[in-house]
Amino acid sequence: MRNVTSARPVAVSEHAALDHSAFWQRVHALRAALASHPARRVALVCDDSSWFAAGMLALAHTGRICVVPQAPQAGSITASGAHVDAVLTDRPAEFSEFATLAIGDILPAGDGAASLPDDDICIECYTSGSAGMPKCVRKTFGQLRREVATLEQQWGQQLGDALVLGTIPHYHLYGTLVRVLWPLLAGRTFVTHTCAQPAELRRWAAQYRCVIVSSPAFLQRIAAPAELPPAAQVAAVFSSGAPLADSCAERLQRDWGHAPIEIYGSTETGGVAWRAWSGSAERPYWRLLPSVQTELRAEPAGLRLWVKSGFTWQSGWMATGDLAHLHADGRFTLLGRADDVVKLEDKRVSLSEMRTRLLAHAWVANVRLLLLAGPRRSIGAVVILNAAGRTQLAADGKLAISRELRNWLRRSYEPVLLPRKWRFPDTLPDNDMGKVEHASLQQLFARRA
Amino acid sequence: MNNLIEELQQLIITSLDLEDMSPTDIDPHAPLFGDGLGLDSIDALELGVAVQKKYHVKLDASSADTRQHFHSVENLAKFIAAQRGT
Repeated sequence: MRNVTSARPVAVSEHAALDHSAFWQRVHALRAALASHPARRVALVCDDSSWFAAGMLALAHTGRICVVPQAPQAGSITASGAHVDAVLTDRPAEFSEFATLAIGDILPAGDGAASLPDDDICIECYTSGSAGMPKCVRKTFGQLRREVATLEQQWGQQLGDALVLGTIPHYHLYGTLVRVLWPLLAGRTFVTHTCAQPAELRRWAAQYRCVIVSSPAFLQRIAAPAELPPAAQVAAVFSSGAPLADSCAERLQRDWGHAPIEIYGSTETGGVAWRAWSGSAERPYWRLLPSVQTELRAEPAGLRLWVKSGFTWQSGWMATGDLAHLHADGRFTLLGRADDVVKLEDKRVSLSEMRTRLLAHAWVANVRLLLLAGPRRSIGAVVILNAAGRTQLAADGKLAISRELRNWLRRSYEPVLLPRKWRFPDTLPDNDMGKVEHASLQQLFARRA
Repeated sequence: MNNLIEELQQLIITSLDLEDMSPTDIDPHAPLFGDGLGLDSIDALELGVAVQKKYHVKLDASSADTRQHFHSVENLAKFIAAQRGT
């Protein structure tokens, strides 16, 4: 690890740079405010990644549990079932139903050196489990720090002093770790906001050599290499969340000059393995990150990959959600999910969890959700309305009803996960045995309703 | 300008594959994202690509400017008109 009190700023935005002393002043100001607040479990919701980092450290320093909701919406906190005493946020207006600690009201105060928190203090995040309810995952700073050290060991030299910017939000653990904590602990500068458009990457790269922390959802939509910054200005591109399509990885490597470094892992396991296309036409196998061990265990569905490392959230061997084939040299190939959770735009979503939420709406009698293929994979919702719902449908039309249900789900889900196609038949299509078949549900979406 | 607004309403529906919606369902003044039409970040990316392809405009501005241009159909139409110098 390099010296963290480097002269480089901690973070930069379009308007300002945040140096180390100003950053630590923020941490201290938040610590002081938290020390006199009774809350024990605090949800952290910030648009600005530097406030997110400061909030996370301040909560750890004061022995509070830092709860990171699955999505930065008030409904996501409620729906996760996480008990929360207060919300620490840079946009308090949206969280009026909770006790809020508004970052804007906390004035900078205090000084002195800060040591990073101990192993036993954790952040708590939520991810889609397979049982139909959000799953709570706790990580100690020790686990996060060991993972950062592993990433630094593997790629630190290649990155040098490049500026770290991300197309993915910081409230997903991959973003928290790679976009915020890694640069913070390694003395690199990060950009405070998510860069959602390719033009923003080009603008930063015009000034700085960059590390781009991204995902297949973004990279696979890059139509031409010219949309990305010149390859010479880019130290590395990371992609995580889901495997990158072969065609995309190959094209970027060939036409742009950088093969994205894909990291395989999950909120529960942390980083496990990586791969990057080289000049050859063969799809590369996944190679383990330093200090990570794997093995396969047989199940009815196939051979499930298990992982052991210093940054899995539970110690010892941990199951991943994936089936795999292990090659003789320890590298492996992934063969698909072992459970019913689907991946959409690199985010995990449990269809049974979403179904439970929809069933709670006053107009809904029954629901089936399924994954639809197409240029953009999305969720299709087949909803059987009750009498009240049918009355509304007759009065307001289909668009009004689907908008209402989308808005209902938007309280708990990020917009990219919401169903994009809706069908409201009178009954679910069932076969002679009374069983609703997947194929007949798919059939409902074969044509426009 | 009105033609451009109608074109954009149609472009949004076709390029983003929005169902059950006709061009007139998209209020030119309402926000495209969040509380208005409810488009998401992937839609933003795809709409950006579609607009650049169809109108040959460049989105090289800062993120604040980009957000402003994509705020509504009306803003987008103004931005395209200005870039084309019409």
